[in-house]
Amino acid sequence: MKKLITLVVLLAVVSGFGLTANAQDDNWWATAAAPYAGVTLHGVSESTPPSNYAADVLAPQFEALTGIKVELEPTSWDQMYDKAIKDMEAGSGIYDFVYIEQDIVFSYLAQDYLVDLTQALVDHPELAAPDFNFDDFTTFIDDFKNAEGHVFGVPMEAFVKIYLYRTDLFGDPEIQAAFEAEYGYPLAPAATHQQHEDIAKFFTEYGEENDLDLWGTTVQAASGHSSSFYEFFESIAPTFGVYNWGINEENWKATVENGGQMNSDAAKEALAWWVSLLQYAPPESTASTWDEVAATFAAGRAAQGWVYGENTAWIASDPDRSQVVGQVGVAIPPLAEGVMEAAEAGTGYVGYYDGGAFGIPHSSKNIEATLLWLQFIGQPSVQPEWAAAGSRIVHDATFDDPLVVEMDAQTNGYYTLLQEQGYLFKGAPAHPFHAQVRSVVEPFIWQAIVGEITAAEALDQAAAAADEEMARLGYGQ
Amino acid sequence: MQQSKTARKVGKYATTYGVWVLASIITLLPIYWMIVISARSRVELFDRPNFIIQSFFEENYINTINDPSLQKYMVNSIVVATSNAVLVTALALLATYALSRWRLPGADNIFFWTITNRMAPPAVFLLPLFLLFTKTFRYGDWILFDTRIGLILLYCVFNLPFSIWVLQGMIDGIPIELDEAAMVDGAGTGMILRRIIIPLAAPGMAITAILSWIFAWNEYLFAATLTSVKARTITTGLAEFVTVTGTNWGEMAAVATLTLIPSLAFISFVQRYIVMGLTFGAVKE
Amino acid sequence: MRQNRTAWFFLSPSLIILFIVGLVPFFYILYVGFFDWNAFSLQKGMHYAGLENYRRLVFDQPFINSLLLTFRFAVYAILVQLVIGYVLANLLATDFPGKWFFRVIHTIPLMVAPLAVGATWRLLTIPGFGPVPFYLDRWFDFEYSISANASQAFWTTVIMDVWHWTPFVTLTMLAGLTALPREPLEQALVDGANRLQVFWYVKVPLLRPIILSTVFIRLMDALRTVDEVWMLTGGGPAAATRYTGLYIWRIVFPKTDYGYGSAMSLLTLYFTILISWLLYTAIGQQRRGER
Repeated sequence: MKKLITLVVLLAVVSGFGLTANAQDDNWWATAAAPYAGVTLHGVSESTPPSNYAADVLAPQFEALTGIKVELEPTSWDQMYDKAIKDMEAGSGIYDFVYIEQDIVFSYLAQDYLVDLTQALVDHPELAAPDFNFDDFTTFIDDFKNAEGHVFGVPMEAFVKIYLYRTDLFGDPEIQAAFEAEYGYPLAPAATHQQHEDIAKFFTEYGEENDLDLWGTTVQAASGHSSSFYEFFESIAPTFGVYNWGINEENWKATVENGGQMNSDAAKEALAWWVSLLQYAPPESTASTWDEVAATFAAGRAAQGWVYGENTAWIASDPDRSQVVGQVGVAIPPLAEGVMEAAEAGTGYVGYYDGGAFGIPHSSKNIEATLLWLQFIGQPSVQPEWAAAGSRIVHDATFDDPLVVEMDAQTNGYYTLLQEQGYLFKGAPAHPFHAQVRSVVEPFIWQAIVGEITAAEALDQAAAAADEEMARLGYGQ
Repeated sequence: MQQSKTARKVGKYATTYGVWVLASIITLLPIYWMIVISARSRVELFDRPNFIIQSFFEENYINTINDPSLQKYMVNSIVVATSNAVLVTALALLATYALSRWRLPGADNIFFWTITNRMAPPAVFLLPLFLLFTKTFRYGDWILFDTRIGLILLYCVFNLPFSIWVLQGMIDGIPIELDEAAMVDGAGTGMILRRIIIPLAAPGMAITAILSWIFAWNEYLFAATLTSVKARTITTGLAEFVTVTGTNWGEMAAVATLTLIPSLAFISFVQRYIVMGLTFGAVKE
Repeated sequence: MRQNRTAWFFLSPSLIILFIVGLVPFFYILYVGFFDWNAFSLQKGMHYAGLENYRRLVFDQPFINSLLLTFRFAVYAILVQLVIGYVLANLLATDFPGKWFFRVIHTIPLMVAPLAVGATWRLLTIPGFGPVPFYLDRWFDFEYSISANASQAFWTTVIMDVWHWTPFVTLTMLAGLTALPREPLEQALVDGANRLQVFWYVKVPLLRPIILSTVFIRLMDALRTVDEVWMLTGGGPAAATRYTGLYIWRIVFPKTDYGYGSAMSLLTLYFTILISWLLYTAIGQQRRGER
């Protein structure tokens, strides 16, 4: 009851503020932007629905209001990093704002690539929009803060990598009966790894018997692409209690003998288990990157699996792309013993909280104007429709918007889960190197996937390589 | 007698046609699959493989043709590839003419050095090129980065070596006596070039232009790094379809199919020059 | 003297452009190759490391494997292209109705961007969805997985390269055949040589320069292949198709290891130049021999 009242009050405040403040707001933007009218801002981002919405809808609105033009360069995932990093490293000033994926932000901060937004707004009070407040954001913004709590990026998308299952299959009484007869417990979303494996085995056999293109689970195991590294270290290993890629952040070591976890027994068990799931996964799994896993699930080829949250909404609701509309359930991924307790206590996490923000490189030549643009896209008033278009949520208040509530129903509670249990998930570890260690570790994961070496060998070699690379970068010497 | 001759002829054609039909099927199969994919909606994409196009999903084509940025990329590609082909052919003609007709000190080495420019693994050169394009070549607010002229000049790095290689053989093959005769008649270097070299080297120039055009049209890595929104080419635009939330294979295939059309039209016109030009001057009578 | 000035005048635009976009970056890389420079290391910037990068390279087994793999890829691909290209060029050298049509079809792959070639072949061969694994399984009960079986992935990239570049070889071969002098051939036939003998003792020696030129150009390009393979397999499964171009790309792009990547490129470039120089000298001798 109390919650409801807060909610109503909150809604009233938000909408009331929106109504009364609108006209005054428009004036404020025009006045604040007057010195920068005619400027063109350049940004780089991946061509995802949230970015496209920013480019196609928000940028024209912003231009109409302020006379500042915003050009967003859409690129592929690999290219986005290369160009942003080259630009910031060289200080060439091509981009006024860059997309910062959550996992790379610590590397950027360590290199001092980004403008301190908190400080910039203090230094330029005339540029601080009345409608913009860092406190409106969900806990996801904490990933973009430094030790002093200063913010370096305005979150623009956020998702959790979630466990998806097929409600039609899991809810079928005949299937339920057959499953219970075979395994001795009722069919439900997997809570443990053993259950996950049982369910995967069961549905793979079910698919064979009924001549269906159906397998037991998805596995994002592309054997030549970083996405397999990410699924293992950010979604699977944590559920076995191996956090932060198994790297000890005290002394920057990965091997067990140096105090790391990367080749610990738990990690080896996790990798062996994950690789063994391939026998219950569709044949394309060893070629599947993030989007292909979503496509596999959307094509109805898997009964359960881990899928990035940005895909949940379209898998559950877009009949133009998905064959399992209305048949998608979400749940917390299967966990080993003790992981949930650790996550609740804040010492562990159950999965990956993914997303990104826009930040301003120091080399930008239009920092002031870009500051306005970032505040514009961080206002409460633009959030709900953006959420509907890109299935991303970065403000606490957005969860209660009718548009989001409707989407929540379609996805069987993905947004509720994000809101209530999002804190159990965590972003990538705060490593000041990211791609570097990933690059030396992932070849061993690929070898384990194709069976060239065992899981234990892979992690032993990977941990040794990681130690060597971190030392070369100057960490943990 | 008469009959066996016809039979032999038929037999001979049969092998020829047999081989060619087979070769054509193999050649066209991936292209055809590209078109099949371009005709599928995103849901149908993961149906069981089927070589018969059941229904044509026009949206893939309509969406991409009407996309203003893709239109812009297409224009960029045409401008960049054509300008580069013309520039490269002209420069290569002058260069090879100089290398062929004058005894320059170290001519052989200059020639080989130009070729080595094509051999470099492209990835690492992007770093210095990025610096050159964004920091060195700037005049006020103008930078070479994200300009068509930047790409046109850059593509010389792999097209000039190739063109010089092809044209050198061609021009070496033109007897120097023709030049000398013209010189006796009082013709200057410009006149010799116009009247003798260009007409005789035309097939070679055509092939260099065509292949340079194709290489420039197809280039991805340089264009992806050194352009942003204004000068981006269509090949680079293809990579935009690969995203974290799903690769739009249908539209990507549609664009790939569309990009074939200009090259196909172009190549049909100039078919006959191709073969004449590719001898590298290596075989002489 | 005046004459030479004209020559330099004609050469200079090409040399200037190649100097800027070729030689300047080359010297930059040469310089960077002596430094330890990773954009994300704790000590920012470049640190002089002498020959350390090169010393590491010699012991970098994955890199050496990649170099050998690339060479193997190039050799297989080019050999197959030469054989098929020669056969098809022979068929095109005679006249038959419809020749024009087949020739245009045959040149189509040349015009498809490598990126699109990679994407198309990925869609053809992707396990689960692609028609190739599907029909191989259905008709021949043959298990084919480009993402799990290393040798299948390797041969798929070879076949893809053959598909893409054989037309180029056919065209150069055809050009060579068309320009062949008739007398030696007729003479050989008069002397009673059979077709194989004519091919081996007359045609091949006459075609040698053009074969070498073709190999030369194809080799340069095959050794720096990136886009197609990147799109098709991403270098996988594991390291099965991680060719040098792709390997270097991974070092300098995602890993931002600029110093080491530069050293790696220079070494690769050096190998390519060495092989090319051998070929080039062979061609040069042939040319001089004929004069």
